[in-house]
Amino acid sequence: MKKKRILIIEDDVFLLKLYSNKLKGEGFEVEKSLTGEEGINKISLRKPDLIILDLILPKKSGFEILSELKLNKETKNIPVIILTNLGQKSDIEKGLELGAKTYLVKTEFSVNELPNLVKEYLVKKK
Amino acid sequence: MKKEKPHKLSEVVSIVSHQFKSPLSVIKGYLEVLIAGDLGRINETQKEYLGDALDNTNRMINLVKDFLDVSTVEEGRLELKKVSSDLDSIIKKIIEEISPFAKANNRYISYNILNSIPKMKIDPLKIEQVISNFIYNAVFYSKSKKKGMISLTLQRKDRNVIFCCQDSGIGIAEKDKKKVFNKFYRSEEAITLAPGGSGFGLFISKAIIEKSKGKIWFKSKKGKGSTFCFSLPITT
Repeated sequence: MKKKRILIIEDDVFLLKLYSNKLKGEGFEVEKSLTGEEGINKISLRKPDLIILDLILPKKSGFEILSELKLNKETKNIPVIILTNLGQKSDIEKGLELGAKTYLVKTEFSVNELPNLVKEYLVKKK
Repeated sequence: MKKEKPHKLSEVVSIVSHQFKSPLSVIKGYLEVLIAGDLGRINETQKEYLGDALDNTNRMINLVKDFLDVSTVEEGRLELKKVSSDLDSIIKKIIEEISPFAKANNRYISYNILNSIPKMKIDPLKIEQVISNFIYNAVFYSKSKKKGMISLTLQRKDRNVIFCCQDSGIGIAEKDKKKVFNKFYRSEEAITLAPGGSGFGLFISKAIIEKSKGKIWFKSKKGKGSTFCFSLPITT
């Protein structure tokens, strides 16, 4: 069976390594981007099955990326999981209103839950 | 050259706290995968040490959260997101979460709802924070290793609901009573019993309850225990 492709857009190299290895260990194919702009370019070149998105990013914020994705009929149905340290209610509401499937705060989330969460939203997508 | 206006202390705290979150998320995540055995089997002692490191990382994360809450209060930015909520369900959920920790400390939580409580417009997360703070304090601040009870009550009185949390812990000395809701304040005994506390919990709780147009108070007798309560107006 073809491996599902997950794109992680995260500017912290340590977290990028952590999330990426965790998902690879569960059999996913992982693409990584350190900036918002790079992330958008990668999506336009090859559509991932799911995106894990940080919000505070260089060059293009996670909110901007999400808005662009949702305006494009090619990308609007790609499930997006926001994984950030912005925990204000206004940010959470904005992220969900823009169409993210879920909004998680890094410090309140266990990385061990990530693979199941990704699987859950890949199933729901069908 | 124009001199830059100095930042207010609360602003500095807010900025620094946000900066702390990223490295803390990294440490927490790396410890979690090590404990889960993703990088190979670890023995029980290694697991215990890594578990202690993770507990302390989570402790630091909670301190950072407290710092951010305090700076929010101090800058007058505390905002409530009021939605129609069932206080009884909120309390039951908190009891379920805290009970294992309480039990590990030989503390048992009882809960009585004295009359029917309608759904109310409150900020459920903030009120949950206050109730959890009361219960955690009741668990922490007790010297006795003997079995102890923590009694929670919820009742409607006129146009208000009143929640109280009663313990049989160390109590508060007369001289300390005025300072209980001050930020940073912790009695010497409190520091000994729960060295990880920040001294912010009740300060934040008071701000949340007052912002919700309610009242917060306590009764306490040194060596006998304390009862912390809040009331909230019923707005549907």
